[in-house]
Amino acid sequence: MAHFTFPMPDVGEGLTEAEIVQWRVKPGDQVAINQIVCEIETAKSLVELPSPFVGVVHELLANEGDTVQVGTPIISVQGEGEDESVPVDPAVTEAVADVAGSVSKEDTTPAVKNLVGYGAGTNERASRRRRVTPSVEGMADVSPSEVSPDASSHTAVLAKPPIRKLAKDLGVSLSDVIPTGPGGEVLREDVLRDAGQATVFKNLQTPAWPENREDRIPVKGVRKAIAQAMVKSMFSAPHVSVFVDVDATRTMEFVKRLKASSDFAGIKVSPLLVMVKAMIWAVQRNPTVNSTWTDEEIIVHHFVNMGVAAATPRGLIVPNVKDAQLLSLRELAVALEQLTTTAREGKTAPEDMTNGTITITNLGSFGVDTGTPILNPGEVSIVALGTIKPKPWIVEGEVRARMVTTVAASFDHRVVDGDVASRFVADVASVMEEPALLLD
Amino acid sequence: MPYTDSTLRLLGQDGILVKDDRVEKYHQAIEHLDEKDFREFFRVMTVVRRFDVEAGNLQRQGHMALWVPSIGQEAAQVGSAFASRPQDHIFPAYREHSVAYIRGLDLLDIIRMLRGVTNGGWDPKKTNNFHLYTLVLATQTLHATGYAMGIGYDGACSTGDLDKDEAVMVYFGDGASSEGDTNEALIFAQSYQTPQVFFLQNNHWAISVPVRVQSRTPLFERAAGFGLPSVQIDGNDVLMSYAATRLSMDAARSGQGPHFIEALTYRIGAHTTSDDPTKYRDDDELKFWQAHDPIDRFRSFLEGRGTESAFFENVAEEAEDYAADIRKRTLEIQDPPLEQIFRDVFTEDHTVMTQEWEWLKEYTQSFEEGA
Amino acid sequence: MHELPMAKAINEGLRTAMVANNKVMVMGEDIAQLGGVFRVTEGLQEQFGPNRIVDTPLAESGIVGTAIGLAMRGYRPVCEIQFDGFVYPAFDQIVTQLAKQTARHEGTQSFPVVIRIPYGGHIGAVEHHQESPEAYFAHTAGLRVISPATPNDAYWMIQEAIASDDPVIYLEPKSRYWHKGPVDDATPAQPMNRAVIAREGSDVTLVGHGAMVSMLHQVAEIAQSEGVSVEIVDLRSLSPLDYPTIEASVAKTQHLVVAQEAPSNASVGSEIAATMTEKAFYVMEAPVLRVSGFNTPFPPARLEGQYLPDVDRILDAIDRSLAY
Repeated sequence: MAHFTFPMPDVGEGLTEAEIVQWRVKPGDQVAINQIVCEIETAKSLVELPSPFVGVVHELLANEGDTVQVGTPIISVQGEGEDESVPVDPAVTEAVADVAGSVSKEDTTPAVKNLVGYGAGTNERASRRRRVTPSVEGMADVSPSEVSPDASSHTAVLAKPPIRKLAKDLGVSLSDVIPTGPGGEVLREDVLRDAGQATVFKNLQTPAWPENREDRIPVKGVRKAIAQAMVKSMFSAPHVSVFVDVDATRTMEFVKRLKASSDFAGIKVSPLLVMVKAMIWAVQRNPTVNSTWTDEEIIVHHFVNMGVAAATPRGLIVPNVKDAQLLSLRELAVALEQLTTTAREGKTAPEDMTNGTITITNLGSFGVDTGTPILNPGEVSIVALGTIKPKPWIVEGEVRARMVTTVAASFDHRVVDGDVASRFVADVASVMEEPALLLD
Repeated sequence: MPYTDSTLRLLGQDGILVKDDRVEKYHQAIEHLDEKDFREFFRVMTVVRRFDVEAGNLQRQGHMALWVPSIGQEAAQVGSAFASRPQDHIFPAYREHSVAYIRGLDLLDIIRMLRGVTNGGWDPKKTNNFHLYTLVLATQTLHATGYAMGIGYDGACSTGDLDKDEAVMVYFGDGASSEGDTNEALIFAQSYQTPQVFFLQNNHWAISVPVRVQSRTPLFERAAGFGLPSVQIDGNDVLMSYAATRLSMDAARSGQGPHFIEALTYRIGAHTTSDDPTKYRDDDELKFWQAHDPIDRFRSFLEGRGTESAFFENVAEEAEDYAADIRKRTLEIQDPPLEQIFRDVFTEDHTVMTQEWEWLKEYTQSFEEGA
Repeated sequence: MHELPMAKAINEGLRTAMVANNKVMVMGEDIAQLGGVFRVTEGLQEQFGPNRIVDTPLAESGIVGTAIGLAMRGYRPVCEIQFDGFVYPAFDQIVTQLAKQTARHEGTQSFPVVIRIPYGGHIGAVEHHQESPEAYFAHTAGLRVISPATPNDAYWMIQEAIASDDPVIYLEPKSRYWHKGPVDDATPAQPMNRAVIAREGSDVTLVGHGAMVSMLHQVAEIAQSEGVSVEIVDLRSLSPLDYPTIEASVAKTQHLVVAQEAPSNASVGSEIAATMTEKAFYVMEAPVLRVSGFNTPFPPARLEGQYLPDVDRILDAIDRSLAY
């Protein structure tokens, strides 16, 4: 003995609902196949519905006057014997269950197996289908190397249109750039790197000598503040600088993978981010580099307010990210991007420029390999990130091209001695060499 | 009163043969028919009508997007279909279920089409040249005419051998008769004198538009205007339907050019299951035609000849069995394979078909089963 | 090898096909005694008789519809539609019937019908006699759409179209009917579904079909004199499009310009632009540029010279492409 339910069919090619006008049977009635069980009214007409089942009417699942969605069970019939049971279509049962929300677990209440009478109504979806393999490439997507034998004999430069524009704007010849993209294409940083390297003196046009013998610029505002800070710092703290060259290839690969990951979609990711994280880690291992000197005491901070030297239209400022040690990599990336954008717009708030504990300065963005940075007043350490570019390096006994950079740092020798300085810089550099150390 | 002075019949509504000089040659055309043939006419009309009712029910139970009923038109179709010869080619519209049955089509194939499993459903070479249903009205009239032209070019007609000479019958309705294609087909047919019969089932309605909107003259007179020998018959008289078709097809295959038959009949049901005739039809009109039902008329004829009641019971039972079998097999119909989208679009290999099928295959497999 | 105008090359192609297979027949208005308004079928009825070269009544839907019936009977009909602007009455039979019949018959029947249509402008003709309806047919699944640019291609492609078991729309550039070109009847041309490199170059790929190709040659010569090396792709097939040939060319030149008489909106040129952008995104140095007719009805013939792309508009597009 099985129960069969008859869901409201779409009788008119695209109808979504119908009203039960009149039941012609009641529970307990014997019903034959094709016997009229009810009359419904649709948008188009009055229609009599014939029973798909033979058996005894078990329950009327909708009332006269009810407007019922197509696909909702309207009547259940107790069937006689297995060989008269109607094949079940699990997909329809599920769809009907979604719509009606009333498939009980006890009796099977299978839906009539059909496919066309339930078209227009049940197509809404709330989520994507689950995948086993990543989404397929577009139908037109054929990578150039698959195209034809002839194509591969021509080494056309591969680059997306925005990159081509960037190269053009920067005066970089695309065919001279070493591409690092996964398909062999030139990436933005490849162009920038090339622009940095090739054009330290990159002004395409040198301006003519001014006609007047001199220009006099008043010392005021930001320029005055910078000057005061520099003097204060330089001539109160004894500066010492240390340098180490490191193979940063793994950092570059890590950055590329971050860029490709959906977590970091739309967020600026660069080697600077990794170096900032490296510095925080290195501070954890060498806490005294993260201090402030007063004549009476050295205040070792157990939080990192990370300052980032930023060039603005009015000059150099050093806004800082508060409590950077608490931020995840992603949060840090967002904070750094925010900080730089705000600085460029000249909108940095005064409180963001105070209470820094350690600073990073990016000389590489100017195409400079390294330098001897001046401490930010109130701090005892500053790290300089230089260019990261291909250089010969010894790997497993052989000369290979690796992405090499110089990590430089200046320290206040009143607080930081040579051993601490070296250990700190070595720690930072070792992360650049092996970002996995951050998993510590 | 839909009948005109020109309407020819052999059988009155009472089932008694009509005495009329005008139909003398038509009587002769059925002289070779015997009791067996008459019973077969009745059996087919009854079985196909029962099939039609069952299919309508199946649609109401959600098994088809729509069903196209032919109820009321059985005599026009059965008579004409039996009158054609095995070597003939038949071009239907989309409501000729009786003709399909007679030509050997498994009527489940019509259900498969309306269920959305196929846009065709059968191979005319395997259904005694019964071609596919055509859903764009009247396009088949030109295909039929072209086919008939081919018969002419092949020299496969006009030899005088009725069992070998080929002819084409094309079915269409009063609505389709207004389409440009029908008129162009008549033009081509008369220009090339094709071995062809145009069989117009005037069932008086094109969905909700009555035939008087299609034409102010009886439709058979229009054909005469093109130069085709043309006759109007009582389409609910299966014997007349047979006779007129027999004579016309044999004349056409024998080199006398295309002929035209207008069979007056009635669409008892709706245009399709999406239609509601109560919105536009007169109850009186329906009652008139129900009183002129072709199967009732022929039953009267058979009973008048002494056919035993057991025969009718057996036919009714056979019809029930047929319907039950259709129901069972309808519930078993499987979806077509996904590849069907791309297969058979072209006869020859086609890069786009190959590429797009490969893509869809990969795309489908990228999802979890049943997701 | 001999010099023939395209109209005669098609005539010879038809002749050769009809000799090879006696199921091939040609049908259309005025094609028998008159030999067609462009004389493409001149002399054929004398050779093949009135059952194979058939003057039809003036009814385009009738021509294509009966051709479908004839194909069912085993014939290989070649329909002639007298002018591009008159194909529209046959559009239903082409699009709902001819294009779909093979699929509808699920592999049990083929429909080897060829529909020849003279098309395009540049002959000073009146309204409806200079249309470029390629897009409607290229957009219709189930049809093959081809257009020769040279007499040699015309000769070979009509034969291949007739030999194909698929429906083929064969578009004849009428402004090229009387221009002579070499026809090599010993060496088959490239398959009809392939494009060819009509001229090799390295700076920019210029794509066109039909009558446009001869203009592209003029453009290439002028560009050459200005130091720009143009590679010309003669599409030959509009459906399917031969993307591998276009891609190989663009991989080399990294610049793509498509020229067509047809209006740009929803055109074959637009399809090429969209697909090539996807395929060659990393390779191209400029977006795909289209040079097309304007999106208006074809103007009175006195204005067609400015309506249709000319060498200056195409050269300008090349300049823009190279300047990106």
